[in-house]
Amino acid sequence: MNLLVLYLLLLKAMLLSFSGLSSLPVIEADFVEKHHLITERQLNTAVAAGRSGPGPLGLYVVSVGYMAAGIPGAVAGYIAMISPAFLILPILRFLANRAGNPRIRGAIRALLLSAAGLLISSALPIGRATLTDGVTVAVAAVSFVVLAFTRVETLAVVAGSAVVGLAAALLRG
Amino acid sequence: MEYASSRSRRTDRRRITGGAALDKLAVRPLTLASLTNVFLKAGNTTFGGGDPTMMALKRELGERRGWFSDEQFALVFSLARITPGTNVLAFCAGAAYLMYGWLASVAAVVASSAPSAVLAVWLTVVFESADRNPVAKMTVSGVLAAVVGMMGAAVWQLTKPNFSSKGWPRIVALTGGTLLLREVWGWSPLEIMALAAGIGAMWREP
Repeated sequence: MNLLVLYLLLLKAMLLSFSGLSSLPVIEADFVEKHHLITERQLNTAVAAGRSGPGPLGLYVVSVGYMAAGIPGAVAGYIAMISPAFLILPILRFLANRAGNPRIRGAIRALLLSAAGLLISSALPIGRATLTDGVTVAVAAVSFVVLAFTRVETLAVVAGSAVVGLAAALLRG
Repeated sequence: MEYASSRSRRTDRRRITGGAALDKLAVRPLTLASLTNVFLKAGNTTFGGGDPTMMALKRELGERRGWFSDEQFALVFSLARITPGTNVLAFCAGAAYLMYGWLASVAAVVASSAPSAVLAVWLTVVFESADRNPVAKMTVSGVLAAVVGMMGAAVWQLTKPNFSSKGWPRIVALTGGTLLLREVWGWSPLEIMALAAGIGAMWREP
């Protein structure tokens, strides 16, 4: 498949979505149903691969590109994934000149508190799926205390949690 | 509250106070390399999607290094939500732009995503040929548990400035209201943030 067309198809899906997997229906329609570039099973594998590693959920787009056209397809998928991110820059430039306005300050302060609510909402499904035993609950609690009240590097907390998870798995056999 | 780039603020501060005073004010010097390094580490080691990554970046750039204010975070976090595509990449682009300009914006987006993209391709190959490794799965579970703690810490940091008798109604109305609208009535983040911005614009400072 032509890499430019592949890029444009993936870019279209990204531009029509506002969060990680919300581009999935568009990709399924274009890649599986309309153009038959990949199978449904391949799409599921791409989603699983994208979600299993670190980084954004939208990474599955790179896997879709790889499924459709190999390494060049993965590169096209990667560029399609990152391209829309730069749309934020003109909006920022516009707002930066109006930051002193009391109404805008009030709105931003409100958005800060609303963001906290959205974070709790995002944490709930991860917590339900992950905090299934004493070890994971303890890891979450210790991570909270360390991250909220100390200046320990986040990477150290992530690495320590991985070691605890691995140790728990090995002890259980 | 200002949104001028941290680099220009830092330059002005150096001009006014001199390098020695600057060293006391700045936790660590802001350079393109050091900024890119933060995005590289946070973007490629945080599991669980975009929100945990943004929280890790807030902590590393704001609380630990003092390069990124809470107000800048609120602005970029909100705009990233309404930017098409992957929210966290828009966040990286916007945050790095505010701190160091457009070159840092490109560097941040690439640094925070390219290694993970390579890993995603590798995982695609592995998943096509083998079932998931249970030990690896448990290791990731440990990391995801830390992600829950990380997000709790971020909520703490975001709401802490409002912990006063006059600030509580804001927390209840905006944080609690957001949770209610999202979890009970299924509003989209876009709708909720538009409503919150409208309320915030009308609400008088306590």
